[in-house]
Amino acid sequence: MRTKKLAELSLLTAAALIMFIVELRLPNLSPVPGVKLGLANIFTAYGVYRFKGKEVLLMVLTRVLLGAFFSANFSAVIYSLAGALLCLVGMLLLKRIIPAEYLWLCSILGAVFHNTGQLTMAVIMTRTAAVLAYAPVLFVSGCIAGLFTGLCAQFVLRRILPSKD
Amino acid sequence: MPKGVKIVLVITVILFAAAVVAMFVFNRQADRKTVEIVQNGEVIYTLDLASEKDRSFNIDSPDGGYNTVTISGGTICISDADCPDHTCIKTGVLRSETIPVVCLPHRLVIRFAEEDSQ
Repeated sequence: MRTKKLAELSLLTAAALIMFIVELRLPNLSPVPGVKLGLANIFTAYGVYRFKGKEVLLMVLTRVLLGAFFSANFSAVIYSLAGALLCLVGMLLLKRIIPAEYLWLCSILGAVFHNTGQLTMAVIMTRTAAVLAYAPVLFVSGCIAGLFTGLCAQFVLRRILPSKD
Repeated sequence: MPKGVKIVLVITVILFAAAVVAMFVFNRQADRKTVEIVQNGEVIYTLDLASEKDRSFNIDSPDGGYNTVTISGGTICISDADCPDHTCIKTGVLRSETIPVVCLPHRLVIRFAEEDSQ
């Protein structure tokens, strides 16, 4: 990996972590676990359209693990990881059919994937299918949050010159 | 707009609409009174809220940690816990017959029991 790319990825990871911490300070929007803006996903969505899959994967893994250190919430790691990885895989696949002008659409589905991953993990961990009752609330909030983060990423992407390498 | 994007957009809109509808369907008030407290997928308490006295008790998690369950006036909620996110406390009183009170870190679920399991 070239130094420039490494620096770029690290910078984005750091920025994503800052957003993550800022979001931690915001009051909870809803009593349902998992409903949040997911501001850090702006960087994932941006990264998906700018970097290779494995580079974004590095970014996401670093963010989730370091995020757990900063929030001191290790029991949440397994949920964040399941959500973030499914979201990443989903967005990387969708990138093949959705061009960058429709990044917001990719991000909406990414958010839905994120919630699906978390929910699946919650069902496995609690061994209670009743947790699935949260699915509709999570999907609705995921669509709205995904649209917002997707638009943010799209505005950033538009202002940055195409990568030379 | 390319064809692939159109298809994905339609799927997204349908998914969103279905979720909104499901949200309202799921959110109806429960008229049942039997509540199950489930830990790690096993029912550890079955309570009839109609006849329970007002009280609080602690449920210890096998991995350490506790949740304080409070019953008052025929309602049940988690009033205190040492989990990191406190989502279970913020959820408040158990109302919906489909949406349970959940503490993910302690794998604890409080829900209304199925009618026939009383």
